[in-house]
Amino acid sequence: MRDAFIQSLARQAELNPNLVLITGDLGYGVLDKFSQEFPNQFINAGINEQTMMGMAAGYASTGKKVFVYSIGNFSTLRCLEQIRNDVCLMNNPVVVVSVGAGYSYGSQGYSHHALEDIAVMRALPNMEVLVPADPIETGHITRYLSTSSKPAYLRLGKSNEAIYHESNFDFKPGKINELQSGNDGTILFSGSVGGIALEASRQLSHTGITVAVASVPFITSLDRDYLELASSKGPIVVVEEHSKRGGLSSAILEFASDENLTIKIGMIASEQNDLSLIGDQDYLREVNGISAETVIKRFKAFAAVQD
Amino acid sequence: MRHDFAFANPEDLARSARKEILKMTHNAKASHVGSALSVVDILSTIYFNLTPPVPDSFSLNERDIVILSKGHAAAALYSVLALQNYFPISWLEDYCKNGAQLGGHVTAKGVPGVELSTGSLGHGLPYGLGIALARKRNSLSGKVFVVISDGECDEGTTWESALIANQHKLDNLIVIIDRNRIQSLGSTEDTVKLEPLADKWEAFGWEVDSIDGHNCSQLQKAFSSQKSPKCIIANTTKGKGVDFMEDTVIWHYKSPSDLQLSEALSQIEKSKK
Repeated sequence: MRDAFIQSLARQAELNPNLVLITGDLGYGVLDKFSQEFPNQFINAGINEQTMMGMAAGYASTGKKVFVYSIGNFSTLRCLEQIRNDVCLMNNPVVVVSVGAGYSYGSQGYSHHALEDIAVMRALPNMEVLVPADPIETGHITRYLSTSSKPAYLRLGKSNEAIYHESNFDFKPGKINELQSGNDGTILFSGSVGGIALEASRQLSHTGITVAVASVPFITSLDRDYLELASSKGPIVVVEEHSKRGGLSSAILEFASDENLTIKIGMIASEQNDLSLIGDQDYLREVNGISAETVIKRFKAFAAVQD
Repeated sequence: MRHDFAFANPEDLARSARKEILKMTHNAKASHVGSALSVVDILSTIYFNLTPPVPDSFSLNERDIVILSKGHAAAALYSVLALQNYFPISWLEDYCKNGAQLGGHVTAKGVPGVELSTGSLGHGLPYGLGIALARKRNSLSGKVFVVISDGECDEGTTWESALIANQHKLDNLIVIIDRNRIQSLGSTEDTVKLEPLADKWEAFGWEVDSIDGHNCSQLQKAFSSQKSPKCIIANTTKGKGVDFMEDTVIWHYKSPSDLQLSEALSQIEKSKK
């Protein structure tokens, strides 16, 4: 995803000399080409996230479009007040980019796990939150953000994510992207957990339950039409690699309440049981309750209540 | 509505601003009068000499930019801006009232002349640094003035910014430290020692001037030349101009009573040469 991001950003930087990328001394092997091709549109601020974010806001206030790049918590929680006051309150066109969503940095430990970022970024005023499902959505969203004049948060995975979309798929801002149709319910996901959603759907189909699978990249402007249709079909199970508190499923619940939608919702997110557990991304997802099995269990629980 | 106060010099502007600050904090029963009286000569000198000088050109890309990072001294900034015709002087009467334009910490929205909302310390300098860097990279003129408190030198972002400004040789950035030696609970040196402050900024690669922060000619002179990022240590007195407010911690919090206001106003009036 980070490669798709930087490739898309480079194309936009070529078109728009006012586009600038600032990094907090991270992105070895990822940002090199960009920094060589666009030296006047690239700044390595050093290791000083708070100052970097305030500086990015000031830079953007002069009419520039600024992307700020770092790992999960470093570009979000470490400089939260700068994002709140200098970016969001001042409504400066800064895109906060984090790489390493959820457990992408697996065995590097909890300091590198990004599990609370959506909740926190989503709570900020004027902030648009985007979580692409694959490299194709990443490319489209990066292009979309390059011309947006609002503060935004872009949550990226890391590398080697599966691809679910054709490159020319019908991308529309605010839209939920269906990967697979189904009549008995829906699995919604954000980020790189699409594989879990599709596997759960495959296994459910063997038991006669067909569920739709769709990615939700626009967390702060939810697709009402899709949610209304989905809720009319059956239960919705939301899968995300984030804390259960305040992520995509919380966003959908709040939206449903505001919009008077009756949604039967299941939340599959990180239980955050043992913060210091070591292991790779798949392992940490599994032990924290993010798996095809937990999704299936949730659907079966809904079915049992119905019976 | 323009009222066209015309001040012959920054000293007269500062004297009028002091009276407004006292009236505002009295009216609103608001705090931070000591901080406002400490920084008002600095702000008066900057705005008196600003390029371009009139608020009509506020939207110009290459205008001088002023950021008051010590947002709790809002009354000083608002008084100076009103007296320099940025907005109606009547706004000052509603300071801190429900639905008012002007609040207790500097707020940018809808207030002409204010570039950045501040109030949490350590934000103004990184933001100003970003503007200065963008201008330098795009060969745009205009200086960026960032006024910080000495207590703000406790913040890590102050020193991070000092490193970055030097890295990019930002000769369009001026930091003015309102060095009144008092922070929220006591003296700066008893809290987190800052001295030798000038040596610290010099070691970070900045040009440093240490001057009398209530002397407008010294301030004006210090603003006039620089070859690198510049730090002006403006030695000031908290509560300057009102004897019972000077150099005390308590006037960081108190607002003047009716009696104290009239005594304070008469002291300011008498200071006229």
